[in-house]
Amino acid sequence: MKGAWYERPAVVMLMVVVLIGAVWSALSSALGFSSFPSPLAALRELPHLLLDPAALWAIAQSLGRMFVGYAWGLVFAIPIGLAMGRSRSVHDFLFPLVSLIYPMPKAALMPILMLWFGLGSFSKIFVIAMGVSLPMLYHSCLGASRIEGKLVWAAQAMGMGPVARLFRVVLPAALPEILIGCRVGVVMALIVMVSSEMIARQEGVGNLLFTSMDMAQYSSVYAVILVLAVMGVALDWVFERVRRHLTRWSESAVERKLY
Amino acid sequence: MIQIEQLGKTFQTARGTSHTAIRDISLEVPAGQFVSILGPSGCGKSTLLYMVGGFEQASSGRILVNGREVRDPGPDRGPVFQEYALFPWKTVLGNVAYGLREQGVARSEAEARAMRWLEKVKLKDYAHFYPRELSGGMRQRAAIARTLAYEPKILLMDEPFGALDAHTRLTLQAELLSLWEQLQNTVLFVTHSVDEAVYLSDRVVVLTGTPGTVREIVDIDLPRPRVRADLLRSSAYQEYIIQLEKLLVASEAHA
Repeated sequence: MKGAWYERPAVVMLMVVVLIGAVWSALSSALGFSSFPSPLAALRELPHLLLDPAALWAIAQSLGRMFVGYAWGLVFAIPIGLAMGRSRSVHDFLFPLVSLIYPMPKAALMPILMLWFGLGSFSKIFVIAMGVSLPMLYHSCLGASRIEGKLVWAAQAMGMGPVARLFRVVLPAALPEILIGCRVGVVMALIVMVSSEMIARQEGVGNLLFTSMDMAQYSSVYAVILVLAVMGVALDWVFERVRRHLTRWSESAVERKLY
Repeated sequence: MIQIEQLGKTFQTARGTSHTAIRDISLEVPAGQFVSILGPSGCGKSTLLYMVGGFEQASSGRILVNGREVRDPGPDRGPVFQEYALFPWKTVLGNVAYGLREQGVARSEAEARAMRWLEKVKLKDYAHFYPRELSGGMRQRAAIARTLAYEPKILLMDEPFGALDAHTRLTLQAELLSLWEQLQNTVLFVTHSVDEAVYLSDRVVVLTGTPGTVREIVDIDLPRPRVRADLLRSSAYQEYIIQLEKLLVASEAHA
């Protein structure tokens, strides 16, 4: 499906970015607030930010915590979700707990976690892991409960035990659905990462943002926001490639090409 | 040898009432026999097969396979489902080698043996395709190869050709028959098609409606190897068809 040049995703993306920039620029000059600089001012601030070792270190630390928290989420949430999707009793036992935690803003736990585990990385990683876990768990459970039951029978007839079936039949069969949860998890990880750093202000991108804010360096604030936005888009893009590769066997792999 | 003794199955429905799917079925299948279970839809014939497979538990009575009571699924009883149930994330080769890998056969050996099975079901050129890339008939060939590969003594086939078009169905019936004539497994074959049952089987067990129970067992005394074109002309074959059709109509009226 080859369309005209202006239908290409990259071109559309660029046009949208230019449009947002134009609106932003117009609003900023019309309003004239010092806390609403033009996009060019924010862009001019970018090189300072990206050449500042302290700022880069802050970004690296944030990303590091995000990945560790995300990995913890994967390791715990997916097996629990799969078990919930396959076993009535596991589901009934854990469901009340999960439905309590799901809608709770995870950042609200930060003060308690800080009290327990201090201001260091652990409490932030913990809260990120919680934030990413619930969409992963929910979609793993959904995926596991919807798989073709006869796949499990076929594996049973080969002599495969229950734990092996969970990881070698239920997990791959539910993978397309699990990865939807994991993709939501990427976004959650970013949100919780920044908000945890705004609450426990010691280091990281969130801290960078608020420090610039305190010092009324509004162009830097917007530059940090730009960096965060680009990080989000980049992570999601990478994730989508990985997802498509992992589910290339699936019937729905073709339909789900979002971009 | 499969011995089914006074088997019964009662389900609890969502509304809390109980529904009897199968009542008092007794049946013996000697080793190496091809037995079809024929009945109208909803007579519990698939349920019976699933219980022999160990996928569902009996409510009363018991099933013995070579003298041992069936409690769980096991590699001595290989299922083939109407829905194929191939592992979609594995290639055809990966699917067929899966059971062997599960039994601890090394990868290269498992794949070599899987390849020989794929040759037998004429899928050698499709070894590296994913199931979704195959037609229904090819998927069912792959599923049959996957089950045969781990060499179950007993094949449990649940309307395996039910979802296929008429032509593919005839081709696969003939292929199954010639494979079975070489392998001589015990086969329990669920179908609602009279001519399929007569063409393939040594014996046909006719079940009546709800709850399902044995109405009649008919021995199909036709010489093998069977060729469908010749059978169609034989009066013995026609007699069997007529007899079984009458039994089916009667059992439908019964239901």
